[in-house]
Amino acid sequence: MKRSVPFEIFRYAAILAAMAVTLVPILWMVSMAFKPIGEWSATGADLTWWPKHPTLANFQFVFGHSTNDLIVALDHTAVKPILSSLLSAVFGTVIAMSAGTAAAYGLSRFGSGQNLPLALIQLRLFPPMAVMIPVMIMWAFLNLNDTWWGLALIYGIVTLPFAFWLMKTFFDDMPREIEEAALVEGCSRLRVFTRITLPMMRAPLASAALFVFILNWSDYLIALLLTTREWVTIPVYMASLSSSMTGQLYGAKAALGLIAAVPPVIMGIAIQRHLVRGLTFGALKQ
Amino acid sequence: MSALTATILEDKMDARTKSVAPDEGARLGFRLTLPAQILVLFISAFPLLMQLYISVTDWSPLSGVGWWNAWEMWNSFANYTDLAADTRFWSALQRTAIVMLVCVPAEFLLGLALATLFADDFPGKRIFYSILLMPMMVVPAVAGYMFFMLFQSGGPVNDILSRLVGTPVTIAWLSDPNLALIAVMIADIWQWTPLMFLILLAGLVGVPEDQMKAATLLGANAWQRFTTIVLPKMKTIIIIALAIRVIENFKIFDTLYIMTGGGPGVATETISVYIYKVTTQDLIWGYVAAIALAILIVLSIVAVYAMKRMAKSREVPA
Repeated sequence: MKRSVPFEIFRYAAILAAMAVTLVPILWMVSMAFKPIGEWSATGADLTWWPKHPTLANFQFVFGHSTNDLIVALDHTAVKPILSSLLSAVFGTVIAMSAGTAAAYGLSRFGSGQNLPLALIQLRLFPPMAVMIPVMIMWAFLNLNDTWWGLALIYGIVTLPFAFWLMKTFFDDMPREIEEAALVEGCSRLRVFTRITLPMMRAPLASAALFVFILNWSDYLIALLLTTREWVTIPVYMASLSSSMTGQLYGAKAALGLIAAVPPVIMGIAIQRHLVRGLTFGALKQ
Repeated sequence: MSALTATILEDKMDARTKSVAPDEGARLGFRLTLPAQILVLFISAFPLLMQLYISVTDWSPLSGVGWWNAWEMWNSFANYTDLAADTRFWSALQRTAIVMLVCVPAEFLLGLALATLFADDFPGKRIFYSILLMPMMVVPAVAGYMFFMLFQSGGPVNDILSRLVGTPVTIAWLSDPNLALIAVMIADIWQWTPLMFLILLAGLVGVPEDQMKAATLLGANAWQRFTTIVLPKMKTIIIIALAIRVIENFKIFDTLYIMTGGGPGVATETISVYIYKVTTQDLIWGYVAAIALAILIVLSIVAVYAMKRMAKSREVPA
């Protein structure tokens, strides 16, 4: 449809305004991450939108206890929280994707587990805060508190609905002729699934896994409740970064925030095509 | 007796080999769905029973007895009667509702407006689209920290306002009870408008173009086309998008807690923040279990009702 020139001008103006609102908070954090301590909380006329003296000191600080600029030293660097976030998110994704993919295939092809679609949506409906008391007690009993594997287990369950629904719609969409041909050739159904279906679904599997990983990586509340010291994740660690001497460690926190924010943004852009499907439990495809 | 058992067993075996063995698929399907079923059971059945049990006691992790011995602290449903009279709980619930009633419609309208701008092709569409989606991919806790920095009294928001007004503005956003709630809602709208935009745009693209052209030829203006063709076609998608945001917004915690910690005082204490504080600071877990169960029950009733309504509306062809 042809649009008029005034409309085009209005469109670009509106989009540019939306872009500014979108980007300013992100850019402020990026800029803060490279600011030396003197510029962290400068206000009024001294407030700088871009670091006057860009520095990597904030990153050195979170990775190496201390820098010359700061009198405080960290008793534990960001290395282990990053490791904790990575391990729990990766293995949580492995759990959710294995159980979810298998169940999705079972339902899509053999009609097993008819209760699962609804049960899993219900799981997503409830606020995690409302089921955390039993989980905290169970995790303490199983010695899973404050471990990355304990986090991975709960992440695997919490994101199972997304893994299941995404894979179910992918399997439903997949043409069955090839599977049927293989069955006629005498392949067992399990072999068809592992040797033919799964390799064919490599791209959808990768997208679903990235989607689930982003969700796991983004968690704050569960890690806040289930980890205390040894295996805190990046967001929990970041929130704990403030000291009585310097107050909020703005720059150091911004550096960590940047480290936490970059992977999901890149992955999210990579799987843009499937975001709608993932977020709407497959109700909608793009 | 044993002979009888044997024959019954034999019958059963027979039945199994007859009905199931040829259907290799059903057995494989059962095995494939088993891990997911176990995980669902592991996180629902047992925890719910435990929650129900603890919710009728005064048990807390500091009470010195294991949770299984919580019956020693039975308090004859006092938790539930306390809950009815707990003003902090009700005001947290009210605040959660206010946040939802402001944020979800705002996100919807902004998202819809953006989606209509993106409905047809124009130079730069793809790059604008990718950038506008970024906020929803930022870790919510990090987004909370971003807005914590932005709303400092000497921070960039006041700086922009100062430049607009011409005099220095030093609003203490996060320590004023009313402004703190607004700041928290702004952060939520910033982060989740892209989700509305994404879903609504996917729906908008699905509206058949020939119908739009026909309507144009018949003399319908843009607004008429929008209300008579686009909106009815998008009804289901709009319901889905709203439902997702309502559900997620009800759980609001990460951004809010990092920005204000529920404060100043209890000015931004939503239901999740309230439960979190009772769990970790007051440590009265018996009471928390009662609150949590009450919420779960109400949510389940709402969900069942909503699904029945949706099923009914689906029977009527759109």
